[in-house]
Amino acid sequence: MAGMCCGVNMSETESSTPTEPSSESARRRRRMEMHQFRFVAPPLENGNKRKIIDGISPERVTNNALQINDDNQSHELVGDAEDVEKEVPRKKDIIDSSSSSKAEFEVVTEMSKYGITSVCGRRRDMEDAVAVYPSFCKGGNDGSADLHFYGVYDGHGCSHVATKCKDRMHEIVKEEVEGCESSTSTWEEKMMRSFSKMDVEVTNWPNQSEEGRVPSSTCRCELQTPHCDAVGSTAVVAVVSADKIVVSNCGDSRAVLCRKGVAIPLSSDHKPDRPDELIRIEEAGGRVIYWDGARVLGVLAMSRAIGDNYLKPYVISEPEVTITGRTDEDECLILASDGLWDVVSNETACGVARMCLQSRKLPSPPMSPGNDMVVAAGSDSSDKGCSDASILLTKLALARHSTDNVSVVVVDLRKNIKS
Amino acid sequence: MSTHQERETFGNFFESWIKEQNKDLEDLVSASKEYDQEQTEESLVPLIDQVFQHYEHYYAEKSRWAKQDVLKMLNPSWRSNLEDAFLWIGGWRPSMAFHLIYSKCGLQLEARLEELIRGLHTGDLGDLSATQLRQVDELQRDTIEKEKEISEKHANHQETMADTSMVQLSNVVTEMLRSGEEARVADVMEEQVEPTLEPKEEGLLEILQMADDLRLKTLREIKKILSPVQLVHFLIAAAELHLRIHDWGKMKDARNGINR
Repeated sequence: MAGMCCGVNMSETESSTPTEPSSESARRRRRMEMHQFRFVAPPLENGNKRKIIDGISPERVTNNALQINDDNQSHELVGDAEDVEKEVPRKKDIIDSSSSSKAEFEVVTEMSKYGITSVCGRRRDMEDAVAVYPSFCKGGNDGSADLHFYGVYDGHGCSHVATKCKDRMHEIVKEEVEGCESSTSTWEEKMMRSFSKMDVEVTNWPNQSEEGRVPSSTCRCELQTPHCDAVGSTAVVAVVSADKIVVSNCGDSRAVLCRKGVAIPLSSDHKPDRPDELIRIEEAGGRVIYWDGARVLGVLAMSRAIGDNYLKPYVISEPEVTITGRTDEDECLILASDGLWDVVSNETACGVARMCLQSRKLPSPPMSPGNDMVVAAGSDSSDKGCSDASILLTKLALARHSTDNVSVVVVDLRKNIKS
Repeated sequence: MSTHQERETFGNFFESWIKEQNKDLEDLVSASKEYDQEQTEESLVPLIDQVFQHYEHYYAEKSRWAKQDVLKMLNPSWRSNLEDAFLWIGGWRPSMAFHLIYSKCGLQLEARLEELIRGLHTGDLGDLSATQLRQVDELQRDTIEKEKEISEKHANHQETMADTSMVQLSNVVTEMLRSGEEARVADVMEEQVEPTLEPKEEGLLEILQMADDLRLKTLREIKKILSPVQLVHFLIAAAELHLRIHDWGKMKDARNGINR
């Protein structure tokens, strides 16, 4: 992940690095703050582990008047009450640690404020990958506005498909957005083509000899077929412009918008037992078998993914795309792998994230002048809020016994603080 | 006979070390309470160093006795059956340390979530910073990788028990026993069996040493990442877990009439 912000203004990166634990002043500050604000926090509303506690209900989507702008391509988020309260089956445990990715990364650009946390957690292998590329290309109506790219990929079978998505997806999307077909195609079409190209790349990748593109993965499967056919990844990608959020999803990672304190899912998990997905799989000649949860052919616990060649055509790489107009009431966007969503509801995640953003925006508690903590508090800007939010959500997932890798991206969408 | 006494000696050492850990635990707990009442965090450092010295001492002794009898160290009579069943190459699995951190972090996080959401610092393990979380995650991945390497080495070594020399030797000795040549068996034992088994034990010793080194290294690296007060919380949780599992295992053994 270290290289993910190439070419991006990282001027504030260093200064926004959280206080080192070894710093004496930080310790003193912690101690003082601790004494000033001691009270008992209320218990969280849900301590259940391994349960999805947040289905995406159609009511919630309509009640919250999810604005889907692009008329022709509007893609209704279809959810079902059956999504609620399902045990989430584990994906296959396969070995590899994509050791290149860092646990946490935080950066501020002029236009994009976000925080990333991605940890191995209680798994022995790291198969998640996160990609954030602020101002990754120009777009918008006049083609001159900056677009930001955020993606979370949760690999299965091995880490290399997720890693490949992290490295390539934004480039493919950029080609689509800036390409000659761009003016005539809708966002949905662009994203559909991007996911399709991504899927072709990972499918052909091990066998083709791309010049200059040496497989960099040090993965367990070592890119050997037929092993490689059983490797895939979820992909949830958000392209954010000044006026809209385009979320493309394939698999069971999720994007949730926090608008005026309300959690609005911008993607709907692709589970094999989602009624429409079940019909699609069966019409293609596949079966959904309950083996540690609903699985396509009894193997894969999601109905769409990048890769997974051996499960085609039942498992497809076609994303569902939602286009959401931004409003002044938007607070933040959360993208995360199921390591978070399995144990933290959309509502809780939004609640935690917005409180982090709000409290970091407020001036810190008054301190005695000249104290070094005042200086430290000065760095508590909104980007710190995003980073704090992503860390806190990750720790909350671990606290609630998430047994998976946990990856969380929090994007600040508040207009008033955008430069 | 001397071997017997040595075995006893490490068992005795273990018992006294357990007592020491009990005392360390009490010191750590009272230090964490005093810290809440306005001690400086730096004041915790001498105690932490003392606890770490005790861990270092434990592994130094263990290494010394392992050189005398590695088989005994891998089949420790001073441990209960419960502990024994969860050991990894003669000790605790290094990657368990991260589960301990995450579990304790989770408990402390849930207890004071509101403060943490407001951006306040609780100073305990629930308050792991972004940098610390990244460092812990990196250390975890690194530790798991090393753990896998040692496990693989262990597996390879265990497989050598069926190498050609062993199979041949077992056949030769069996044939001797069958044809009533017991007298020659003693010679073969001394001349061939012992020299063949010796490198097997030496290999185990090397692997045990690597495993113990990884255990100690994991502790030292965690010490570098956590703040003193977080480290005190970690050491408390580690000692509590170790001591209670030891107690529970012994109680279970006693109930089952096992006298280890």
